[in-house]
Amino acid sequence: MKKLLVYLKSSKKECILAPLFKMLEASFELFIPLVIANLIDKGLKGGQTSVIVQSFGLLVLLGLIGLVAAVTAQYFAAKAAVNFATELRHSLFEHLLKLGFPEIDNIGTSTMITRMTSDVNQLQNGVNMFLRLFLRSPFVVFGAMIMAFTIDVKSAAIFLIIIIVLSIVVFGLMAINVRQVKNVQKKLENVTSSTRESLKGVRVIRAFCLEQEETQEFNNDNNLLMKALNRAGNIAALMNPLTYVMINMAIIYLIFVGTNQVSEGLLTQGQVVALYNYMSQILVELIKLANLIVLINKALACGNRVESVFEIEASQKEGSAEVPRNEEAVRFEHASLVYPESSEETLTDINFSVAKGETVGIIGGTGSGKSSLVHLIPRFYDATAGNVYVDGVNVNEYSFEQLRKKVGVVMQKAVLFKGTIKSNMDWAMENATEADYTEAISNAQATEVAEGKGGIDGEVEQAGKNYSGGQRQRLSIARTLLGKPQILILDDSSSALDYLTDYNLRKAIKELDYKPTVFIVSQRSASIMHADKIVVLDDGKIVGIGKHEELLKTCQVYQEIYESQYCDQNSIAENAEKEVR
Amino acid sequence: MKNFGRILKYLKRNIWLMILAMIFAVISAVSALFIPFFIGDAIDGIAALVSEDMAMSAESVSLGMQGILIDLLVTACLVIESAISLQLMSVINNKVTYKVVRDIRSEAFAKVQTLPLGYLDRHPSGEVVSKIITDVEQFADGLLLGFSQFFTSVITIVGTLVLMLTINVRVALLVLVLTPMSFFVAKFISKHTYDMFKVQSQTRAQQTALIDEIIGNEKVVKSFCHEQNALEQFDEINERLRVCSLKAVFYSSLTNPCTRFVNAVVYAVVALTGGFAVLSGGLSIGMLSTLLCYANQYTKPFNEITGVITELQNAFACADRIFEFLDEKIEKDTRVLEDETVAGKVEGLVEMKDVAFSYVADKPLIENLNLKVLPGQNVAIVGPTGCGKTTLINLLMRFYDVTAGSISIDGTEIRDMSRHELRSRFGMVLQETWIKEGTVLDNILIGKKDATREEAIAAAKEVHAHNFIKRLPQGYDTVLEEDGGGLSVGQKQLLCIARVMLMQPSMLILDEATSNIDTRTEILISRAFNKLMENRTSFVVAHRLSTIKNADIILVMKDGHIIEQGNHESLLAKGGFYKELYMSQYQAT
Repeated sequence: MKKLLVYLKSSKKECILAPLFKMLEASFELFIPLVIANLIDKGLKGGQTSVIVQSFGLLVLLGLIGLVAAVTAQYFAAKAAVNFATELRHSLFEHLLKLGFPEIDNIGTSTMITRMTSDVNQLQNGVNMFLRLFLRSPFVVFGAMIMAFTIDVKSAAIFLIIIIVLSIVVFGLMAINVRQVKNVQKKLENVTSSTRESLKGVRVIRAFCLEQEETQEFNNDNNLLMKALNRAGNIAALMNPLTYVMINMAIIYLIFVGTNQVSEGLLTQGQVVALYNYMSQILVELIKLANLIVLINKALACGNRVESVFEIEASQKEGSAEVPRNEEAVRFEHASLVYPESSEETLTDINFSVAKGETVGIIGGTGSGKSSLVHLIPRFYDATAGNVYVDGVNVNEYSFEQLRKKVGVVMQKAVLFKGTIKSNMDWAMENATEADYTEAISNAQATEVAEGKGGIDGEVEQAGKNYSGGQRQRLSIARTLLGKPQILILDDSSSALDYLTDYNLRKAIKELDYKPTVFIVSQRSASIMHADKIVVLDDGKIVGIGKHEELLKTCQVYQEIYESQYCDQNSIAENAEKEVR
Repeated sequence: MKNFGRILKYLKRNIWLMILAMIFAVISAVSALFIPFFIGDAIDGIAALVSEDMAMSAESVSLGMQGILIDLLVTACLVIESAISLQLMSVINNKVTYKVVRDIRSEAFAKVQTLPLGYLDRHPSGEVVSKIITDVEQFADGLLLGFSQFFTSVITIVGTLVLMLTINVRVALLVLVLTPMSFFVAKFISKHTYDMFKVQSQTRAQQTALIDEIIGNEKVVKSFCHEQNALEQFDEINERLRVCSLKAVFYSSLTNPCTRFVNAVVYAVVALTGGFAVLSGGLSIGMLSTLLCYANQYTKPFNEITGVITELQNAFACADRIFEFLDEKIEKDTRVLEDETVAGKVEGLVEMKDVAFSYVADKPLIENLNLKVLPGQNVAIVGPTGCGKTTLINLLMRFYDVTAGSISIDGTEIRDMSRHELRSRFGMVLQETWIKEGTVLDNILIGKKDATREEAIAAAKEVHAHNFIKRLPQGYDTVLEEDGGGLSVGQKQLLCIARVMLMQPSMLILDEATSNIDTRTEILISRAFNKLMENRTSFVVAHRLSTIKNADIILVMKDGHIIEQGNHESLLAKGGFYKELYMSQYQAT
């Protein structure tokens, strides 16, 4: 949490003024019992009407000054808190954008979004309340005690005792409560996740007639939650009656002692009333303080979570190489990859090079490392051993911007952003001409798609919801093509296209006038069989490199993949089974 | 408010507890009210001790002391009584509230299991979850806790008023007139801050949408080096949010100081008028202190009621949403055949006659569909996305009901069977995998609840899932998270297939079941399936044409119609759409 305090720096003035004005307000409140005591002793007992009127005026005046002080304090507190949240959000967003792919995988999207939204909101609220109350409440509590001592030392001793005992009870209960609330939270998560799970799997649940079992399971979780809620609620409820009993017992004691003092002439009746009033003030403030601490506790937890995100640093450092010319577009040199959090190698000793303008097909089974391999080229991930070169230069020596302008990737999952088709495509290149858009769209076989939405100014809803999967895929290909990357990577990005469109797309890319080096990752033999070079992966290792015809002769895995899609299945199955056994 | 009657229905089951809670609330509030009264009396006692000069006899002093002691003892009893009642009331309230929450949640969950899929497909699951979790909680919290607070507040207000009236009518009336001012001040402020909050929440929603989009697709953002533009876009909204948040936060925080000021004025007025009343002899000093104490307390329940009213409004809004959900029409089995146990001898003759179906009333999807599948035939369904392949499966499983025409199995209309009966005849594997929180074994046993561990392992071996399961940390007893956590999509799909293998269903439905599995493994699995499917009717949806070449019937669908039908050779010979689709995978640049 400490590190987040820098975001209060620009609001230093507000952070000092807000609590100060709050204290001012509180100190005026502390005068009220004295005014009343004076009213009773001088005005009523002495029979001076002027004192009564004076007291009235004084009370209203104290209220008014309190009002002004409080409003000022609220303003400064609100300003500091809002500024804090604004700056924090900015830095957090900036920080998240700096993280690399390995870190993004690790944190997870939903976590990042929660940190940015609800956690920051809670923090804003926490800062606001803290600035308002953290000085005020203790000030009133101790102020009341000191005032009591100025009135009568003997009876004021009870104040000291009651404040200590009350603090123990209030904070003790709260400590228990915090733990129980955590328990409740966990049980609630169970209930939520079993609801979500059963909604997601509704077809499977019904197909297997599991409705009864699911309901049974939910009811169990639900019952456990109810019990946890009851336990936590009952303990939390104790706070009110307990503090109430203690304060009132103290008041009774106060009056009892006061009676003797008064009869001995050491204390006036008005002073007894004042002591009584101070005791009541302490109760109100202690409860406020307890609530504040619960709130601060929550905010602190959020703060720590946010801080832990800040602590995650991008593991990849960028370089800044001059770009040399080299006939070799991409070269892998004994490259291996182990994902963080994983113990096994996803890629092992990848070794091959690709000349400029070549088309490379990458094929292999599920989980064989196809995507991982091409992700090393734009440095989405760093090779854990060995090196990857683009244009003869180690990818680590480029700046991210240099490298990623050079390498255009169409990802497996096609994503569009809210805006227009044009605003989406502009990501790849700003200031493109009309002709550039048309060309990129037509090459991506998306002309129909764009026309269907009224051209390149056609609207795109959040996450591209108003387009089908295939349409999104084509538009995201168009986006990448607009940037005219020297190296174009299609990462299984035609999976939602039918074979005919896929074919036309490949043809268009082949005919691009700037002759990019193309990587096509696919599970379909048809998509890659005519590539200049086919890389066959199996379990992260290259088991064959060459042209289609060669591989058919020499590479068993390739044969099997090919035949599985084209030939009689039984014969290969028999072979494969033999191999398995 | 229209659901008020229904809300009462939920409370009715707990009516005695609620009455008890109310009794405790009354005891607690009334006892608390009398405390300042007795303390005031004790203070008056103190005054009496002093005022009767030094001439007071020792006897009267001890009598006075006795009076004070009695006052204090009574106060102590009241304090304890009030505290105990308060705690009992809270405990009962908690019990009732959480029980109602549990009951409504259980009911809502059971509802989910019986709702037509049409409803669940139309409503994002997040929305339903938020109804069952958040809405129910806010409803119960707002209504029950709000109600008890409301009740206590009203008792306190009335009680205070009555007690003040008995002490001094003039002062009491003044307080009665002045106090509602704080109520109006609060209302005035909240009315004027409403718009600011609206702007704030709109701006926040915009920002969240942007965060969602950019952070959710951060990999794409990074691949285009779009970070700086994204940050600028973010900052623009962030700045707007700063301005409107400051307004909303500041103005709404005025409520407290303003109502406190009103309270201070009321307090001063009581001191003034009470002071004069004391001088004129109509009031004792102790009772003035009691009145001051009441004046201070009197405004508190008003503020609480203001808060409670907003909470109640919210609770009713939540109740509306919950009841709307609970009122959704559910699926019912119209007629259940008397003797469903004949299920064992399913032949597998499936007939569709003039079937029509649409998801949206005026947009027909499937029209005039006719199909006859003989027992043991293998049907493959192909066609472009959105042509109705999956819809056909939805109709077969009665996830949706046909809008016209009929589907029958072995001569029985499927609408005449119970859904459980119908569905238990089919084994189904979907493209979207579903893994339950639990062990690998639990997940396989979904196929057949009473199967043994050995049977499950055998099924896993048959679909080639055994190898990867074996390598998991605890093998078959590895606990999988919701969504299957560490497993790859292909591995999850293998588990789903193992379920069906274990189930040994009478008929089989595979909806893109092997799309995430590489072709080699797929062949191994389909061999296992082939063995399973010998002489059993099966339906296979696939976009990989190579996997369906051996089907007995290939249905080529387009725009909800079956445009071609036949086996691989006959369709190729026909030279239509199927041929075009099929040949495109052989063409290359």
